[in-house]
Amino acid sequence: MKSIKYFFVTVIVAIFIGCSASLPPQELKDARMSYEKASKGQALKLVPAELHKAEVALAIAEKSFLEDPNSFTTRDLAYIADRKAKMAEGLANSAVEKAAAEKANKDYEIAQAEIIEKAKVDLAKSKSESKLKADQLAAALVKLAAKEEERGLVITLSGSVLFASNKSELMPAAQNKLNEVSDALLATKERKLTIEGHTDSQGAISYNLDLAQNRAEAVRSYIISRGYPSDMIFAQGIGEGRPIADNNSAEGRANNRRVEIIIDNK
Amino acid sequence: MKNLHISIIMGFIIIAFGIAGCGSSEVAVNKEASTSAIRAAQEVGATEVPRASFYLQLAKEGVVKAENLANEGEKEQAESMLLRAQSDAELAIVLSHGDADKTEATEALERVKKLQQTNK
Repeated sequence: MKSIKYFFVTVIVAIFIGCSASLPPQELKDARMSYEKASKGQALKLVPAELHKAEVALAIAEKSFLEDPNSFTTRDLAYIADRKAKMAEGLANSAVEKAAAEKANKDYEIAQAEIIEKAKVDLAKSKSESKLKADQLAAALVKLAAKEEERGLVITLSGSVLFASNKSELMPAAQNKLNEVSDALLATKERKLTIEGHTDSQGAISYNLDLAQNRAEAVRSYIISRGYPSDMIFAQGIGEGRPIADNNSAEGRANNRRVEIIIDNK
Repeated sequence: MKNLHISIIMGFIIIAFGIAGCGSSEVAVNKEASTSAIRAAQEVGATEVPRASFYLQLAKEGVVKAENLANEGEKEQAESMLLRAQSDAELAIVLSHGDADKTEATEALERVKKLQQTNK
């Protein structure tokens, strides 16, 4: 009976000693966890050498634990193994970020090249459109008998075609002529236009000046209504100040009553 | 009587050697590797990265602990503690680089997004 009792005590003590000896220190628990985390992540694929170092360090710590579970050596080796596993994980994360940066830089270069290519195509297209517009304008101006002068290309419209005598409202028939002019001008919206109103010398100078200004404004408004930018078109009443023919004859006065559209050369 | 005097003197000598022995228990350890790693971590900006900064602090504390252990004559423990400090500092370096890589990747992605948005 005594020997049975002794046997049980021995077993319990042995279990107790066994249990307490097998309890790993916190450092080893941490190292095991860190290694598991690193090995399940990208480390195996991206930084296998670093993961291997962590594995070796953990194996050394485990061996030390088996030999001397409670020693500072075991705790320190486990601590170092933990850090090596964390380093492997950190390096794997770095590799992921570097790959992402590399891909983004490549994407950036591709996107930039595409933009440059598109810009080249757009530029070529715009050049060909500009040339087409310039050709269209040239053809239209020939048709409108535009004269090249120092102040620019000048289209002269007879006053009798556009306005009734002493009036500044456009006649219905004037619209056809102005539509033709506007269509030609719309090909070069970027060029400055000056509309000048001229009269003959009959009547008071101030009256003629007002009439000329109002007529120039009427033509300006019409061309704007056809789509020409308002900030690129200006009206100016000249009155009787710049005749192109003799005001003593009926034919000369008719020629002097006119509207000139000056297309800036620049 | 003479023998008694000799015994007393010998006793004093033994005690004196004992005391002297205790006083000179301080041992020298090589801190070069751990302090170099700490310096390197500081140079790569570990103090600016929260996680790296934490491990850098642990490394510094580890060196202090190692110095204390060396002062107490625990050479083996002190050297082991220095290895811990070194591994903390090395981890701080890795985490600092990781943070820089992350920032660079984020910036590169932002550049691409911005370029795509401005050229839609």
